[in-house]
Amino acid sequence: MEIMREITVTVNVNGIPVRAAVSPQESLLDFLRYRAGATDVKCGCNKGDCGTCTVILEDRAVKSCLVLAAQADNRRVWTVRGLEKDPLMQALQESFATHGAVQCGFCTPGMLLTAKNFLEHNPKPDRAEIKEAIAGNLCRCTGYKKIVDAIAAVAASRTGDRA
Amino acid sequence: MGVSGFAYISPSTKEETLTVLSEAGEKGRIVAGSTNVLPDIRARKIAGCILVDISHLRELKGIEIAGDTVTIGSLTTISELLQSAVIAKEAGVLWQACRCFADPLVRNRATIGGNIANASPAADGVVPLLALEATVNVESKARGKRAIPLDEFFTGPGKSVLEPGELITSVSFAKTSAMKSAFIKFGLRKAMAISLASIGMVVGFNGDTIARVSIALGALAPTPVRARETEKYLAGKKIDDEIIARASELIKTEVNPISDVRASRDYRQHLTGVLFRRAIEAALA
Repeated sequence: MEIMREITVTVNVNGIPVRAAVSPQESLLDFLRYRAGATDVKCGCNKGDCGTCTVILEDRAVKSCLVLAAQADNRRVWTVRGLEKDPLMQALQESFATHGAVQCGFCTPGMLLTAKNFLEHNPKPDRAEIKEAIAGNLCRCTGYKKIVDAIAAVAASRTGDRA
Repeated sequence: MGVSGFAYISPSTKEETLTVLSEAGEKGRIVAGSTNVLPDIRARKIAGCILVDISHLRELKGIEIAGDTVTIGSLTTISELLQSAVIAKEAGVLWQACRCFADPLVRNRATIGGNIANASPAADGVVPLLALEATVNVESKARGKRAIPLDEFFTGPGKSVLEPGELITSVSFAKTSAMKSAFIKFGLRKAMAISLASIGMVVGFNGDTIARVSIALGALAPTPVRARETEKYLAGKKIDDEIIARASELIKTEVNPISDVRASRDYRQHLTGVLFRRAIEAALA
């Protein structure tokens, strides 16, 4: 155990270990974009308000601007590009497209990751629960209705019920 | 400390953490969920310190019941509290508050110990704990273990009696399963809002008479506060419209809010009475 000015970390990003020396205050968001090349993770407000930088850390959706890169050492991170073969992510992406839930698209990667993580923990949500689940992801284009529709449609198709 | 002014250390046990904190003194800055620390670093409110990362210390996680007492490890996240059947049953006021804490993504990282340590007058995790008459358990090399009543923990906005070297290990309180609870947050949005005002209430009835009540208020004074006069007024009373009306006037005299970008002092004072009425009605429902 020692006090460090620079920390060598290995973060598993979308199944691939990425090793780098980071500064103590570096965020996971900066690590992902500038060291791991995961520019599908967007930087919006960089202070925890907007949710565009959402990633899945181990099993939980988190805002990567609010996590220290050092805290992700030896942990697994999933971003949207690493989930292109994931059936639930594919279903969400298709549903977002067919429901018109994407306009400028800046919030979309974070929104998709939040939705995927939420549906994994709550396979049969009602609309109110979906709205609550995406409360940390801001969208300035759609007014949210189409996003909620898109997520509800995936939930319904997976369970055979209507949300 | 290099150009950035920051250093980092990640102790692997609680004992190691206490040693590190004792050596770091004023320079030590505990990081857990990092939902407050990272924005503070970016806003340059924090500089030149040793970030002591405790996020992986399993010893400080989890919820335990011993007899009548519930103890929550300081590293327990708000999401974990929300998923806990124990919290839902034994600490309804805290569970309700966790539902309106920040947003679901932040709740996955933010810890109850961090919410206490941050000492915000508006802290949505602290107000319910104050209504639960909770005790903060802290530990350090210099002073050993201390159990500090939450009521005596805060000294001002962002300030507490926590000394350099001290670590919050847990927070504990008595079960309230036999009591009624309500928590109401008044913010400008539903998610990621700083409370304009908040109220946490725990009421015990004896038939239709109030046997005991504790009321905590957030963002209405330099620290979260108890409404002691209103509690005294209500104790032993049968609840009716007149008693509620009188108490909702009385409680306004117990607060000392500020005017800021979110609301004026007058508005917050008015809100205090409104929130009291809503909370007692919710608790009775």
